[in-house]
Amino acid sequence: MVRTAADRAFLPAKSLLEEVGDMMILTGKTIVSALRPPYPYGGEFVGQFLFALKLCWFPLVVSTIAFGYGAPGLQAANFLVLFGALDRLGGFFVLASIREFAPFVTAIVLAGVAGTAITADLGARKIREELDALQVLGVDPVKNLVVPRFLALMLVTGLFNVYALLFGIFGGVLATLVNGAALGPFWATFFTNASVTDLWGSVLKTTMFGAIIAIVCCYKGMTASGGAEGVGRAVNQAVVISIMGVFAFNYVFTQTLLATHPEIAVIK
Amino acid sequence: MSWLAVPKEWLATFGEIISFCARVVREVLGLRVLRFFGEALRQAGVLILSSTLVIWGLIFIIGLQVGIEAAYFNRSVGSPAYAGVFAAWADLRELIPYAFGYMMAAKVGTGIVAELGSMRISDEIDALEVMGISSITFLCATRLLAAWLVLPVMYLAGIGAGFFASYLAVVQQIGEVSSGGYFLTFWMFQNPTDLVYSIVKGMTMATAIVLVGCYYGYNAGGGPVGVGTATAKSMVLNVVLVHLIGMLGTQLFWGANPRAPIGG
Repeated sequence: MVRTAADRAFLPAKSLLEEVGDMMILTGKTIVSALRPPYPYGGEFVGQFLFALKLCWFPLVVSTIAFGYGAPGLQAANFLVLFGALDRLGGFFVLASIREFAPFVTAIVLAGVAGTAITADLGARKIREELDALQVLGVDPVKNLVVPRFLALMLVTGLFNVYALLFGIFGGVLATLVNGAALGPFWATFFTNASVTDLWGSVLKTTMFGAIIAIVCCYKGMTASGGAEGVGRAVNQAVVISIMGVFAFNYVFTQTLLATHPEIAVIK
Repeated sequence: MSWLAVPKEWLATFGEIISFCARVVREVLGLRVLRFFGEALRQAGVLILSSTLVIWGLIFIIGLQVGIEAAYFNRSVGSPAYAGVFAAWADLRELIPYAFGYMMAAKVGTGIVAELGSMRISDEIDALEVMGISSITFLCATRLLAAWLVLPVMYLAGIGAGFFASYLAVVQQIGEVSSGGYFLTFWMFQNPTDLVYSIVKGMTMATAIVLVGCYYGYNAGGGPVGVGTATAKSMVLNVVLVHLIGMLGTQLFWGANPRAPIGG
């Protein structure tokens, strides 16, 4: 009786902890086998990079322009117009776009588009026993499948962040134009407030997002089981876990960056 | 010719999705779904048990994030006491709907695709039709009704989670404004109408996500691989839809009228 009650309470927590531990182990294995020669993953890396690029660019453009125009653009412009200080929108976009929403919209799109595709692909290979076949042939699935995806997703997320910044700021430009204001003051306050710290923080953050997404999605794909339903369920869990992981990491990272670099939080 | 093929295919898929969604909505609004009200209640139960915590969790984390940005931004403009203004607008109007939409798409949307897709490829949907049960009503319309029953309440509670998180971050963590000072501006910069607009935004996203999930799951094909691909595809469309609905909602509700207690 006590035992069943304890099992009910602790088994889910235990399996969750085990899963997190397994993902950590996979991260360690991936990094080690990425660094240790030989390096057979060049072709797969390029393939995955182009695949993610091809899949994500359009959803990312639509998402960042929509987010940039709606949330920080219209709302902040509404607020600033009340004070007759619409030129400050440029400065606000440094905070809104570079520090916050470009990284996380990139992460959402990459997790939702490239991450799900990776899980679906690896999951299908797992349940068709292709991964086992690879292992029997002496090909290491971590080195040949996980490492190229890990590196490609890190690189592509970091680069897409720059692209998302540009289109997010374009959303802000649209909001300024809708309010009938000139763009000169927008760019003036934007470039006075922009700092290199913000930019590298943003790119570093998204690169780490890419790593989180790649590890979670590869892990879930490689441990899929139970036929067709299993692959679908793996994709479902992969995207939930990667979004939660990304946002938890985002909170810790942004807090640390803001607290350790007080100079970026000064309006100039 | 080839450059025309892609947009043509998109248009065709879009049309199919619209007509499918219209059928599902008609089943619900025409009350034919009530024949399977028990199933709808069961789906509502599944939704509550499996998705509530994770949705509130994401809203909570994003609320914390809004809180620290509010505190640091208002410190930088020299008015740390007014962090509540930023938190009220960013939370209620923008980020809680987005967080809700993201997690709905990730958890509920892909979950529906995975479930219905595996039913489709193991021929269970055809079996339903053979038994004389309308599969769209039984599988899709019940899920939509369940979403409409559960989600407004879940969303309201989620707003609570987001507000609580922002309060924690601004007042307890950063601590440059007193609790009373924070709440004074926080509540001053929102009113029940804003809350209703926010709910409308969230529910529009939720409806779109459930319908897209039903479409991709119901029309899955191509074996186990097909279910995975359909799940991934539904997520692409859902991410784009969430952002578009968020933007259109902002433009519609707050675009022409800031709804701020400032000026005449």
